[in-house]
Amino acid sequence: MQPGLSFEQAPPISVPYRFFLTAPLFGIAAGLFLLWQGPAAIASRWSPLSLALTHLLAVGFMLMAMCGAMLQVLPVAAGANIWRPLLVTRLTHAGLTLGTLLLVAGFLAEWPLLFKLAVAFLTVSLLFFALAVLLALLRTPAVGPTIVSLRIAVVGLFVTVILGATLATAFGWHLSLPLTHLTHVHAAWGLGGWSLLLVAGVGYFVVPMFQLTPSYPAWLSRSYAWALFCLLLAWSLAWLPDPRPQALQTLLACLAALLPLAFAVVTLRLQGRRRRKMVEPTLLFWRLGAGSLIAAMAVLLLQQLLPAVDAYVGTPFVIGTLLIVGVFMPLISGMLYKIMPFLNWLHLQKTGKPGLVVPNIRDMIPEARMFMQFRLHLAALVLLLAAVALPVLVYPAGLALAASCLWLERNLVTGTRNFIRFGEELKAAVARERQPERPAAA
Amino acid sequence: MAPKQVIDGRDMMPPEPLELTLGALDDLAEGEELLLLLRGRPYPLYDILRRNGYVHDTRVADDGSVEVRIRKA
Repeated sequence: MQPGLSFEQAPPISVPYRFFLTAPLFGIAAGLFLLWQGPAAIASRWSPLSLALTHLLAVGFMLMAMCGAMLQVLPVAAGANIWRPLLVTRLTHAGLTLGTLLLVAGFLAEWPLLFKLAVAFLTVSLLFFALAVLLALLRTPAVGPTIVSLRIAVVGLFVTVILGATLATAFGWHLSLPLTHLTHVHAAWGLGGWSLLLVAGVGYFVVPMFQLTPSYPAWLSRSYAWALFCLLLAWSLAWLPDPRPQALQTLLACLAALLPLAFAVVTLRLQGRRRRKMVEPTLLFWRLGAGSLIAAMAVLLLQQLLPAVDAYVGTPFVIGTLLIVGVFMPLISGMLYKIMPFLNWLHLQKTGKPGLVVPNIRDMIPEARMFMQFRLHLAALVLLLAAVALPVLVYPAGLALAASCLWLERNLVTGTRNFIRFGEELKAAVARERQPERPAAA
Repeated sequence: MAPKQVIDGRDMMPPEPLELTLGALDDLAEGEELLLLLRGRPYPLYDILRRNGYVHDTRVADDGSVEVRIRKA
C-alpha cells in the first residue's frame, strides 16, 4: 500500500459502534421482560405491557441500530457527509437511550411525568438526527434508487416521530385525542414508511454488493419507495373523514401490503441467482427476513379481507412479531456482521504502512458464532409465534430472544475488541520498524 | 490511454477490490492509469484518492456497473 495514505474522511469508528453495542442490550431487556411478565406481556396489543415490549424492540433495538448504520452507511454508500457527526451522534445516542428507558418506564408505571420526559428526549434527538441525515441526503450529488428510498424513509421517520410524540404527549398531559387511530398510523409509518423503506434503500446497495447478485430490477427499485409512501399517506388520510371510507382504506392497505411482498420475493429470487453459491450468516439472516416479510404481508392481507382474522386477538401480535422479530432484527443482525468487519478493516488501514498486512475481515468476528446467533434467533421467532396459540411458550421465547441478543452483543464486543487488538499490533509493528538498529555489542 | 493494470472487482466481495486497488497504487507511475471495474461507486476510495494526490474519472454504465480510471494528479 502507498505510504501515508490518508483516510480521514470517514467518521470516527466510535460514531456507529456506540449504537451497535447498545442496541442488543435493549433486545436482552425485551427477552427478560417476557420472562418477567409472562403471557400478560402478549395478551393484548393495547396493554401497557405490550406497548413497553414493542418499544424496547422497535426503538431500543431497531431504531438504535438503524441510526448508527445510517450515520456510517451514508458516507460509504452515498458519499453523503453528515454535518458534525460527533455532535449528532452524542445527541441521538443519549436521547434514544434515555428516551427509550423513560418511555418504557412510563408504560409500566403509567406515570405522566415519565411520558413528558420521554417526549422531550426522543423528539429532540430524533428530529435533530432526521434533519442532519436529510440535509446530507439532499446535498449529496449521488443519484439512484438507494438515495431516493433513503430520502423518503427519513421523511417517514419525521412522520413517525411526530405521531409518537403526539401520542406520548396525550399520555403525559391527559389530552383527549383519537388514540387508537393515531396508534395505527404511528405504527404503520414506523414499520412501513421508515423501516421498510430503509431496508429497501440499503438492500438495493448491499444485496448485489455483498451477496454478488444481479441488481434489483428497475421496475421495482424506481417505483417502490414512492408508491409505498403515497399509499401510506392516502391510507393515513382515510382515517380523517367521518364516516370513514372503509372499503377505500382496505383497498389502500392491500395495495400497500403487496409492495413489500414483491420486494421480498424479488430479494429471494436475486439471492437464488448469486454468483458465489456459498451460504454465509448474512445470507441466512436476509432469507429469514424476506421469508418473514412475505408471511407478515400475507397475514396483513388476510386481516384486511377476512373479518374472522381481523377479529382474532392474536393477529396484531403475529404481524408485529413477524415484522420486528422476523424481518427487522434478523436484517439488522446480518448487516451488522457485514458492516462491523468492513469498518474495522477500513479504519485499521489508517494504522498500517507498506509491508504490513491488515487482518482479513473474516478474522474480525468468528463466523461459527454468527451462525449460532442465527439459530437462537430463529428459535425465538418460532417460539414467539407459537406463544400466540400456547401462551406458556412465552417463557422459552423470552429466554431464546435474550440469548440471541446476548450472543449478538458478545459477537459485536468481540469485533470491537479485535479492532483494538489488531490496531495495537499494527502500531507496535510500525514502531518496531521505525526504531534505529542498535549497534552490535562490542 | 490503455490502462497499465485492470482490477475487475465485479465478482469480488468487499473490501477485496479496495484492498487490491490500494496495493496497485504502489506500482502506478506518472502518466500510467489503473482501471477499476465495480458494481457501484467506491466512495471510500474517492476520499483516499483525493487526499493522496490521485485523480479519477468514473463512468456509470446503464446496468449500474462502474468504470473508475485512476492516475496520479
